[in-house]
Amino acid sequence: MILDPIIDLFRGQTITIPPLDGAFRANNDLEDALIFCDLDRVDNLGIWKNQTIASSSDTLYTFSKTGKAKELQKYPAEIIAIAVSASDDLVIALDNGQLLINDRKAKLPASTSCITAVSFAPDGTLWLANGSASNPASAWVVDLMEKNASGSVWKKPPEAESFSKVADGLAYPNGLLAENDSVVVSESWRHRLIKIDASSGKVSNLLLHIPGYPAKLSPTGDGCAWLSVFAPRNRLIELVLRETHYRYDMMSSVPRQFWIAPALSSDNSFLEPLQCGGMKLMGVHKAWAPSRSHGMVVRLDASMMPTGSFHSRANGNKHGTCSAIEHDGRLLVAAKGGNCILALPVSKTGESQ
Amino acid sequence: MTAIVKMQSISKFYRKVPAIQNIVFDLRKGEIHALLGENGAGKSTLTKVMAGVVTASEGKMFYHGKEVSYASPHEALQAGIAMVFQETSLVPSMTVAQNLYLGSESFLNRLRGTYISAQQFLQSLNFGVDPRALVATLGAASRQMVEIARAVHHNAEVIIFDEPTATLTPEEKRHFFALLRRLKENGVSIIFISHALEEALEISDRITILRDGELVVTADTDQFDREKIVSAMVGRTLSEELYSQHKDASIRKPGKKVLSVHDISMGSAVRNNSFSVFNGQVTGVFGLIGSGRTETFKIVSGIYKRDFMRGGTIELEDRTVRYLTPTEAVGDGIVYVTEDRKGEGIFETMTIGENLFGGLLASGRNKGWIVRMKQIRDLAAQWTDQLNIKTINKNAEVVELSGGNQQKVVIGKGLTQNPRIIIFDEPTRGVDVGAIAEIHQLINDLADKGIAVVVISSYLPEIMNLSDRILVCRQGRIVEEFSPAEATDEKVMYASVH
Repeated sequence: MILDPIIDLFRGQTITIPPLDGAFRANNDLEDALIFCDLDRVDNLGIWKNQTIASSSDTLYTFSKTGKAKELQKYPAEIIAIAVSASDDLVIALDNGQLLINDRKAKLPASTSCITAVSFAPDGTLWLANGSASNPASAWVVDLMEKNASGSVWKKPPEAESFSKVADGLAYPNGLLAENDSVVVSESWRHRLIKIDASSGKVSNLLLHIPGYPAKLSPTGDGCAWLSVFAPRNRLIELVLRETHYRYDMMSSVPRQFWIAPALSSDNSFLEPLQCGGMKLMGVHKAWAPSRSHGMVVRLDASMMPTGSFHSRANGNKHGTCSAIEHDGRLLVAAKGGNCILALPVSKTGESQ
Repeated sequence: MTAIVKMQSISKFYRKVPAIQNIVFDLRKGEIHALLGENGAGKSTLTKVMAGVVTASEGKMFYHGKEVSYASPHEALQAGIAMVFQETSLVPSMTVAQNLYLGSESFLNRLRGTYISAQQFLQSLNFGVDPRALVATLGAASRQMVEIARAVHHNAEVIIFDEPTATLTPEEKRHFFALLRRLKENGVSIIFISHALEEALEISDRITILRDGELVVTADTDQFDREKIVSAMVGRTLSEELYSQHKDASIRKPGKKVLSVHDISMGSAVRNNSFSVFNGQVTGVFGLIGSGRTETFKIVSGIYKRDFMRGGTIELEDRTVRYLTPTEAVGDGIVYVTEDRKGEGIFETMTIGENLFGGLLASGRNKGWIVRMKQIRDLAAQWTDQLNIKTINKNAEVVELSGGNQQKVVIGKGLTQNPRIIIFDEPTRGVDVGAIAEIHQLINDLADKGIAVVVISSYLPEIMNLSDRILVCRQGRIVEEFSPAEATDEKVMYASVH
């Protein structure tokens, strides 16, 4: 009805969470997956010189075929993002705002201090996502609670000397999948995937209403993509995000790990906000119920529509899936909340049928 | 204990289709006997035969050892058999007391005296209902209480309760069960029909389970548990032949998400219900009666209104919609094929063509101001051929058609509206076996064409056969989703009752 937008102001909005159904239908695939390697706070995954690399806090590791971790290098701050070019240039973004290309500091615009994702396009253009203009990447939960939308996307063609801004006003861009003339961006706080045109900066929606907080994107071997979702949406958090005074009170008076906010894992403290997914009904654990932490990796088709997903549910512990890559016929998933890298056969599509 | 009612080889046929067949049943004096089965298993038909609502086509019934056959519920009530229906049979414009004494009034009645005796009687049953209140002003639970009180008042020796607890709150249920136990102590025999298996296990002495119109088992309650009941309820015989083609069929992959429903609510019937529907797939929605399936999809198609305040969000291909009338939904390509074809689906005294043309008019796809009879005749010819509607002539009135062919007209009405999403609510209820296969083929063809198809059914084999994904509805919300590969009758039934 034409008056609905006006009446809606008085009607009171329902706090709605998109259901985990269809391609997002929950399963136990991540929970049941083989553990490739146990690594504390493992975060970013990449393939460098045909080897799997992963970051854990301020250290970069490489792995043997059997999954044995070997320290490659230590950095002065936590590693936030990794990208490897076709010619094996290694790009590392740190929590202190630095960007290292083959261990040399890259010149960055003044406003980029929270690099959350980096990605090389096939033509060698380096794309960069700056998650927030006011918070470092390690303070992502603060950025969410402040409801900021100050993220931006930048690019640097191979011949260029500096980065140029392509889009801004984004709500925590957290993953990039670069093409020659455009980039697919996962916007965590708006729960969506967008496409940004490289020349015009025009933004178009690809996938809306993701039932979680999307993070890193990576390509599959067949032109599709993997999307990591590091935490689920939950009604309680959505309520808190609407209640400004309560939220700021909570931020000023409650320790950060106990905020009613998404988390990478449950720390099993009784002070932690209710894990809704932990409820039992009639003696049956309702593991599909959304909780504060969760593990989800989504397979997207070439048009970025979800076709299937892998889950570690509320009663699991392979939560906080921040990154996933395909390598050697396997899908490797970094579960930061579960402190491990998981391996699944790529032939497994995560489709519910 | 002696049997107060005995039924021997009771069968009832509707148009030669058996609703119940060769049922052997006995009810002992002073027992509570639970009668269980899926929707359409024949529970209501069996008890209706007992209470004189319908007459048996075959078989014998004995009451107190004498062969009886009741032509009307009144006759059965006079003999001592009362039935409390799911839909109450009270007169809404009369008071509770007047309803209680309806049919047993004296020549001269004193209203005050009626109220006093009604008050005493209701108090003796522990029912807190005001005898002076108009029935129209009562809630569903209170009406149910009056209905029960009426049955007790007639000093019935046998009382049949059809889904008595569906409308009661947990507190009222406790009172109701206490009443049943009191009646039992007084030697009253009770038949208790319910979908709530825990209730049957809690209250009954014996359980009888029917399936596809046939008796599966009768045994003492302590020989059953929930799993045994569910397994006996859903085990297939006849229907497996009809619904077995699914095993060979391939599952369709989901297309684009076309409908996204977030937390819609409507009173206590639909509560924070969320789900999605995809193009090119049959989404099966299973749930027992009263689980909120129909209400949910009636909200989606603009027939019912969701709660005004915080009623949730419905998105049609990323566009938020809120329909005031079904016409708006039809305009957007959402078509609902009703479960109540006589009440909502067709105009019985109009021809096939006129009914189909009605559907076209509603969609706004008919251009021009003048209604041309040729267009109506062409429409009838097109859809009778396309849907294989069996009729003596294409201008026949719908009332002349069989149930299956009437259903095809209702579906045809929907299809003339060029749907993007088509919602079939109990598409094969009251439809003969041959037509069921044709309607199923039609539903599959629609999904193959890329249309988003929703099939709501309380008949499990239908859902298992047709669906590419199965949603289970309970207490006003979707509680579980199954892929056909993992769904079993037991799992789906378990999800729908837990």
